[in-house]
Amino acid sequence: MPKVFYVQPDGSERVVDGAAGDSVMSTAVRNGVRGIVGQCGGSLSCATCHVYLAADDRQYFDGPGEDEDEMLDCTASDREDTSRLSCQLVLREGVDVHVTVPDEQT
Amino acid sequence: MSSTNFQTTTTEPVDTSYPFGPVTPNEAVRRYVAIAADRPMTKMTMPIGGDVWVIHRNAAARQMLGDPRFVREPFRTGKRAVPYFVEFPDFLKGTLQFEDPPHHTQLRKLVQKSISPKRVRAMRESAVAYAHQLIDDMVAKGSPTNLVPEYAVALPIQMLANLIGVPPADRPKFQKWSAATLAVANMPEEELLQNMTELAGYLTALIDERRKQPREDLLSDLANAPHKDESLSDGEILTIAMLLITAGFDNTANFICAGVLSLLKNPDQLAVFLEDVDGVAPTAVEEILRHGRMCMYDKASGGGGLVPFVATEDVEIDGQLVARGDAILVDPASVNHEGRAYPDGDRFDVRRSDNPHMTLSYGLHHCLGAPLARMEMQVALSVLFTRLPGLTLEGDPVMDMNNLTTPIVDLPVSW
Ligand code: FES
Repeated sequence: MPKVFYVQPDGSERVVDGAAGDSVMSTAVRNGVRGIVGQCGGSLSCATCHVYLAADDRQYFDGPGEDEDEMLDCTASDREDTSRLSCQLVLREGVDVHVTVPDEQT
Repeated sequence: MSSTNFQTTTTEPVDTSYPFGPVTPNEAVRRYVAIAADRPMTKMTMPIGGDVWVIHRNAAARQMLGDPRFVREPFRTGKRAVPYFVEFPDFLKGTLQFEDPPHHTQLRKLVQKSISPKRVRAMRESAVAYAHQLIDDMVAKGSPTNLVPEYAVALPIQMLANLIGVPPADRPKFQKWSAATLAVANMPEEELLQNMTELAGYLTALIDERRKQPREDLLSDLANAPHKDESLSDGEILTIAMLLITAGFDNTANFICAGVLSLLKNPDQLAVFLEDVDGVAPTAVEEILRHGRMCMYDKASGGGGLVPFVATEDVEIDGQLVARGDAILVDPASVNHEGRAYPDGDRFDVRRSDNPHMTLSYGLHHCLGAPLARMEMQVALSVLFTRLPGLTLEGDPVMDMNNLTTPIVDLPVSW
């Protein structure tokens, strides 16, 4: 079972068991992880599921597509190189994911 | 979650018919819980446009709103009437709300940037400053006052002017025309039409100006779409701007009023809010969006809905078959109070953290103005109650029950 490690801006961490095929966003929302809102349910139209993906985990995912890239310019907290929309990060068997939640999400 | 959450605390049988007439808000919530425990949706006949499935369960609503097999095309093209409580004006049927992908995605993307969490964050400071200014004016005039025009409507209109790109000098005119589109205005038809026409004319000229000399605002963004295949005609831009104006501040103003009333009617919650205004404002605003309308009246009726969709094929949702061609919608009050999503949905709780309400919809059509509306509500309530912590009601609020959004038109307060 893939695990997701959510780090809050204050450094506190929460580990949640995910399921392959689910996104980092839906896993967060289902488990009430603070700071990941996901208002559009993953249809790439709200930018409220922004996270910073740990550098070591970037190898497991393709880079952001064109639509995600555009939405990343709309996030409430500043965009960084590691910025991703967590609704686009899909969990896989055997891969744990580490993300940091930004300060402000809406 | 276990199904025991569905059980109500009393043994009295609960009437699960839907829709239902006016009952106390607590009784309404009790019924919503029982109805959702009984079935995921009810087929009901609307005053206009025939039958529609009304969804009661939060999870079922999410499933439907996230499924691209539900579309709005037949409504847009006029192939079928929108099953609803009132007739939708043609102008609204021509807007984003009634579009499906891929055109919806394209239009939405264009507007999104201008109203994104990022842009809204940048607008917060000016919202705070303006809220203070409005309160200064109110205090100077003296209490009591009607909070609706003085504050709840004035703030969102100003923010909208700012977002659209109306220059400060034109804002009084803009405010007058925009306010005329509101039910609160209660204007004779002719006068309303004249105001709308003046507003449209003004915006058309402004679009033209921004096309030539872009700035950082919505009209400039829309008039100067980066890709050729995205560029919009002036008419299309005007439609978007008018949608934002009519759909935008009316609802926000109404929710600001609902927030003021909810807090005044729940002094324990007002105390929690005042203890840590900035910390609590975000969850308080979500709770007002979820439950605020239940705090506005002594009675609540069961039956309401977001704009419907049509199924393009047979789809099963939560065990219920929705046949191809059936219309379906979400009753926000129902899904915002059902037992599985909200075990204690009748309570107004400004610190509620797990709050999956659907007042601003969900999925593709979730409210484009959501970040702006949330920010304005947070700012409006924080500034108001910090500046005037002794705010009290000076009589009964007046609603316009003849209007679809049943806005509060008079909210008399003193301080
Ligand atoms: S959930 Fe809306 S963009 Fe990811």
